[in-house]
Formats: sequence, C-alpha cells, structure tokens
Amino acid sequence: MKTSRRSTMALLAALGTLGFLTPAFAAPKTDFKVAWSIYVGWMPWGYASDTGIVKKWADKYGLTIEVTQFNDYVESINQYTAGSYDAVTLTNMDGLSIPAAGGVDTTAVIVGDFSAGNDAVLLKGPGTLADIKGRDVNLVEFSVSHYLLARALDSVGMTEQDVKVINTADPDMVGAFQTPDVTAMVTWNPMVAEIAALPDATKVFDSAQIPGEIIDLMVANTEVLADNPDFGKALAGIWYETATLMTADTPEGAAARAAMGAASGTDQAGFESQMAATKLFDKPGDAVAFTTSPDLPKTMDLVRGFLFDKGLLGSGAPSADVIGIEMPGGVVLGDAANIKLRFSDTYMKLAADGAL
Amino acid sequence: MRLINQRLSPGAGAVLKTLPFVALVLAYLLGSALRLAENPNDKLLPALTTLADAIDRMAFTADPRSGAYLFWTDTLASLGRLAAGLGLATLIALLVGMAVGMLPVLRALLAPFIGFVSMVPPLALLPVLFIVMGLGETSKITLIVIGVAPIMVRDLAQKVLDLPREQIVKAETLSASTWLIGLRVVLPQVLPRLLTALRLQLGPAFLFLIAAEAISADSGLGYRIFLVRRYLSMDVIFPYVAWITLLAALADYGLDRLRRKLFPWSELEGAR
Amino acid sequence: MTALSIENVWKEYGDQIVLENLTLEIAPRSFVALVGPSGCGKTTLLRMLLGQEQPTRGRILLDGTPLPPEPGPDRGVVYQRYSVFPHLTVLGNVMLGPELQANRLTGRSFGAARRALADQAREMIAAVGLAGAEAKYPAQLSGGMQQRLALAQALMMKPRVLLLDEPFGALDPGIRTEIHHLMKRLWNELPMTVVMVTHDLREAFTLGTRIVALDRTRSRPEELLRYGATVTKDIAIWPPRVAGRATLYDTEHPQAQDDLTAFASPAGTTRQTPSLI
Repeated sequence: MKTSRRSTMALLAALGTLGFLTPAFAAPKTDFKVAWSIYVGWMPWGYASDTGIVKKWADKYGLTIEVTQFNDYVESINQYTAGSYDAVTLTNMDGLSIPAAGGVDTTAVIVGDFSAGNDAVLLKGPGTLADIKGRDVNLVEFSVSHYLLARALDSVGMTEQDVKVINTADPDMVGAFQTPDVTAMVTWNPMVAEIAALPDATKVFDSAQIPGEIIDLMVANTEVLADNPDFGKALAGIWYETATLMTADTPEGAAARAAMGAASGTDQAGFESQMAATKLFDKPGDAVAFTTSPDLPKTMDLVRGFLFDKGLLGSGAPSADVIGIEMPGGVVLGDAANIKLRFSDTYMKLAADGAL
Repeated sequence: MRLINQRLSPGAGAVLKTLPFVALVLAYLLGSALRLAENPNDKLLPALTTLADAIDRMAFTADPRSGAYLFWTDTLASLGRLAAGLGLATLIALLVGMAVGMLPVLRALLAPFIGFVSMVPPLALLPVLFIVMGLGETSKITLIVIGVAPIMVRDLAQKVLDLPREQIVKAETLSASTWLIGLRVVLPQVLPRLLTALRLQLGPAFLFLIAAEAISADSGLGYRIFLVRRYLSMDVIFPYVAWITLLAALADYGLDRLRRKLFPWSELEGAR
Repeated sequence: MTALSIENVWKEYGDQIVLENLTLEIAPRSFVALVGPSGCGKTTLLRMLLGQEQPTRGRILLDGTPLPPEPGPDRGVVYQRYSVFPHLTVLGNVMLGPELQANRLTGRSFGAARRALADQAREMIAAVGLAGAEAKYPAQLSGGMQQRLALAQALMMKPRVLLLDEPFGALDPGIRTEIHHLMKRLWNELPMTVVMVTHDLREAFTLGTRIVALDRTRSRPEELLRYGATVTKDIAIWPPRVAGRATLYDTEHPQAQDDLTAFASPAGTTRQTPSLI
C-alpha cells in the first residue's frame, strides 16, 4: 500500500517535469516561431521583423510569425532542434551536425548566401599559410572556422595534426588575438575585419578560396513545412523583398544597410564591406541555380566527411553515409532511408516565378 | 500530532532520502522514452544505453584523433586548475585573513578594501583577465582565486575576531609574542574553519572554472561540455554534469572528514 | 615579594568616569577580594592590573616599577570562561606557557626538554586534581575541572600576581567549595599575590585576607556619568590570614608541602631565567 503510494507520487513528479520536455507535434497551424542570430547574411531577418515586412507576408497567408533574435547562435540551433522553434538561421554544416544528426528532419527553405571572404585564417606577424605549422590555432571548435582550417591545411598538404586547436569563444577573439600567446586564429566577420586591421595581423586564407562551401540558410522543420506550405512561402516572400531592398542602390537600400549595420554593431560602411565578402542571393533565380548545381552535392560531401572525421554525425555512425542529404531533383547523398537534411528549391522557385 | 513533532523510523528516513533521486531518474527515463518514441535520433534526453555508450567512448576508449582518454584528461586538467586556484586562495585566506583578524593596523588598512573587492563580480572581470593574462592557465586559475579568495579572507578574519579576547590576553600572560599567538593560539583554531570555508567555496570555484574553460581551453570538464553543446550531445553532457557533481560532493565530504580527523576538538560540544 | 601600588588611578571612557581617584596598597602575599555591585568597575580595575587596559590618570606599580602597558607572564589570569584553549588537551594547555617562553620561534618544545616539561606539567595537573585527564580536551571537562585546568595553566608560569575574574562564579556550590580548598592551598604554598573579583561575599570572606568594596558614592541618575566608583570599604580579615600559615578557621586543609614545592621557588629567580625548563 505504502509502496504503491510512493510510486504514484514519483510518477506524478515525473509527469510534472515532462510538461516542457515533450516534443512539439506537427500539425496544420497558424502560429510560427523563427529564430535568428547576428550575422551579415541573416541581418535581413531582423530588419524585416522590425520594419513590418514579416508581418506583411504573414498577414498575406493568414499566419502569425514571431521572429526572435538570439545572442547565442548555438543556443538558437539547440532551441530549434529541441522543438521550440519552427525555423532557424544556420550554416549548411551546422544544419547537418546539429538538427539533422539529432534526428530532426530539416529542410533548407532559403539559400541566403555563401561566404566569400567572411571567414578567414589569420596569423600574427608576416607569413603565408604554410607558416601555421606547429602553432596553436584559436578558433571555435567544430564550427565553420574549424572546417575552413581543415580546408586551408588541405590546400597546402597539411592536416590538423600539424597544428594544435584551442577552443576559444567567438566574442573573445579580437581581444585574444592581442595577447602574446595567440599567434594563429580562424574566425568570421565582423571579427575578421577588426583583427585584419591590427598592425601585425596577416590574412593567409579566406573563404573566397573555397567559394560556395560555407552556406548560410534559413531552415525549417520538414514536417511543419509539409503541413504548412504557406509558412515556407511567407519566409521566401520576406527574404526576397528584404534582400532586394538591401542590395538596391537607392536611398531606401542605403537606409536598410545602415540599419542592419547598426544592429550588428558596425555602421553602413562596415556592413557594406562585410556584404562585399558575402555572395548574397537577392535574386531567387541565382539561388535556384546554386541549389540545383552539381557543385552542391560535392560541397556537402566535403562537409559531411569533415563532420564524420570529427565524430559529429553521431558516435555510432559507421560512415559519413549514415545521414541522408537530399538535393533538388531527387539526388541523395548517403542513406536514402534516413534523409534528415533536404535542400529544396520549391519556395525559391515560387519566388522566381513570381507565384508567391 | 503536529508535523513538527513527527519522528521517522530509520527505514522510513532512508526511503525518504532516496525518494527525490528515484523520482529524478524516473522522470528522466519517462521523458527520454517519450521523446525517443517520437524521434529515435533525439539528442535531448538520450536513453540509458546511449549514455552508457558515451561514457564508454569518453572514458574507456582512446580518442582516435589524439589517442587520449578524453574523460580522464578533462578531469585531470580541471582538477589541476581547481587545485591550483583553491590552493592559492586558501593560502591567501590563511595569511591575509589571520593578519587582518589579528593586527589592528592591517585591519584598518585592508578590511574595507577586501570587503569592497569581495563584491566585484568575478565573471564580469573575465574578459579583462583574458586580455591581461592571456588565454592560458594563468587567467583560469586567477579567476578562481579572485572569485573565492576575498570571501575566504573575510570569513577567516571574522573567525579570528570571534575568538574570545580572553584567550589572547591569556596567551599574553603565558608569555606569547604576537607571532606565537598567531602560531599556537589563532592558527590551530582557524584551521578547521578554513577547511569549512574551502568546502563552501567548492561550488563557486567549479562555477568559475567552467566559465573560464568555456571561453578558451583545449581540455577540461567545462571545455568539453561547452564544446559538445555545439552539437547538442546531451549523452556526453549529462555524464559530465553528474561527474562534476560527484567530484564536488566527494570533495565536500572528504574535507569534512579531514577536518574531523585533524581537529577532533572542533567537533566537541561547546568547543568554539 | 610582590607588592602592588595603585596610586590615584582614574579610568574614563569618553565622558563616562568609571573609577575615580582610586588608591590602594596591596601587600605581598595578600589575597585581595574585590567586591561591589555590577558595573562598579571592579573588572576594569582587574584589567588595568593585567595590563589589558591603561589608567586614564594615575599609575600602578608592581614592586615599585610601573606596569608595562600590556599583559605579561608576571601576572597570571583566570577568567570565568575562555581561560583555556579548546584546541589543546589538558596536558597541552598546561605545557603551553613554558613552551612559549622557551621557544620564541616555534612555540614548541621537542625531545628531552619536552619530556621534562611534560613531567612538570603532569605534576601540576595532579596538584590541581586533574590526574588522569591529561589527554582530554577542555570541552570534555566539567566547568569545575576547566577552572582547575585554567589555574594549573596560569600557575605553570609562576606568576608574581594571580588575577581572578569571578573564576568560580559559574560553578555549582559543591564544586565551588572543593575548588575553594584548592585555591586556598595554592595561595598558601605558592609565592604569589592574588587579586580576585567576585560578586559573592561569602567567597570573598572564605578566601581573602582583605576585602575591598568598590562603589559609587553618588548615585543620582544625573551624577552617574560624572562620578566614578572608588573604595567604599576596606576590611582586613580578623584573625589575619597569612599565606603559608593556617588560621584557626582553615583547618579543613592539612598543610602538606607535597607536590607543589617545585613550583614554589622564589619568584624573582624563576622569572628571570625562563629557559629553566
């Protein structure tokens, strides 16, 4: 009798904690939550939210879209993976290693841009990339910086065994570079610009040398998207309206760039220099072409190889094939029975066709 | 009978003690089962077998990249930093705390300053520390020292002040100099308190350690947690958190046992 | 032999006058009991004799020499509480004084010196009736035993003056009687002058050779601050008690010059050769 009462209480306590741990079940709905974090290619989302573009497109499809800015990029992805958000901004690499490897079927709704110089390898003092041999390299481990380092080393016939990686938080990069024991660093903008401006810093490799490999996406939960295609259309509508505005050589475009610059801690000029290091897809046709090109499977193969090497596709993963990656037109990389990351051109095509 | 008068049999006490632990485990298992039924690859609440795999991989399998047993290198790195930081803080607390507690001149000179410094939120200083002392071990150990030493100094100085004045006068009538009073009257009586102060600072010390390791490191318990957090590897994070908790609890228990063993008189009824 | 001279001593704390123009000659080997109501300044006087506090005006002489401004080994003290060190055993407490005196750097004796000192300490412990309790900590002793320990600890220094601040005030009556006997015997056998603060008149008359009562002579509220206490009664016990000689009334204690003789060497010599042990 006593025992049963005790176990009942334990069960009740257990149920109490479950309230916030149970996953959100997908179904047709009208309220959506989108998470984004500060980065040059994602600033349009914040701007669109602030200036009513989000509301305009949400209203058009009879939806409510709540756009939340995260100060912590990884936390925003984790929140999405845990099911608290329907869509999030992330890179192709993190999309594969976090939500997809976590079993959350994820679709890239919008290919927003790729890094063409925004990520860079920096050395202290003069030199070339080969001089990195034997040095401690400060970077955010397992981030695109880490991937860039691996690609950079590969380009000069070295491997990660030739350097020592020190995990360093991105807000501390600029300060860290100025301490004596830091001599090599991989990071992204706006830190790259700040560090490169220091007198003894030399940029020895950047993402312009591996164009199209570090891709910034807006992804959404595949199930949510399948049940609510209007959500995808709204996202595409918001993106292309904002992207067109911000790339326009008009006073309105300049104002948008100034606002985004201010929101990311710089000014219009600083923001425009970051945009110069970014291939922004402001025309849906370009994005469709990029997404359907045969280069994308090659890039994703490199990325998944890197992630597999680092054990980021799951500890038990027998090969990089464990997670299926689907490209438009039915091209599948890896296990077709376990597709968790999908590149879709559906919504971008609708935008290109003016069918939103 | 009033609740306040209710007594438990030893058996019932033991059951009640374990109940919250059991409830926690059950809640976890239930939540995990529900989430995994929905998504077999869910990483948020991994199943026990997944946790066991992760423990095996981290602690008992050499890392393919470095050949190291990551769990143990992390533990050693963290405990080394913790020991250095707490050891230094303890030494400072002992020397400064006793001096401030005993000597009116030093008390006038330092007590307000230490009181002020102990209010500095150490984590807010972290960016400064990293710039001034670099990203290496020095800044991590310094953070721990800055975080815990001022509070320990104050605690110890107060303990010295709490010693009955009669004892000090008595020692003087026994021909003790200031030095000898410190050595034979004050020091032995504050040592048990020092161990207690150290116990109380274990939690904060771990907090500062993990915060420092999260920012820049190449090994350590906090480093690992914040690294694998990047890909939501709860199967590694949960065992690490449990391990840190266990380490802290063991250190807490060990320090208390040490105090009882070294200073049996401090346990006696009425001993001050 | 040790005489204390208190000459025109005033003690003030800010505006408050506590002791007023106090003059007192204390003869060698006397046992002075200071009595008076609470707050009359008897503990303040004791503290000044100890050197813990200084007179605002006037001076205190010990054998014609002004007292140093801090406590020292020539004046022992036993308080009502906190007289012994909780972190030392009975043996450790009793050995502490000579150990400190002989080892100015480490405060500890080692080897033969330590063994000799321990033997001496055990004798003293036995003399105050604590034999068998050497390894106990003070918290394991009863109140009476703690005060015996405090006496033993103080007497190891062979003080010229022993100051007692209500030392037996917290003890049960039976225990108190026993410790009175011990106190009387110690005073008889050891070459010291004793000044004891007590609020217990019976105790004062049982132990003292002279009872000194302190009190304020004016007690109107507006005068309390401006007028301190002074000697209001000074009674010599009749028939006179003389140290080392039993009086008619002190028959309860046989004059055994047994185990205390070692501690009864003339104060003047032991004081100047602290490294004796």
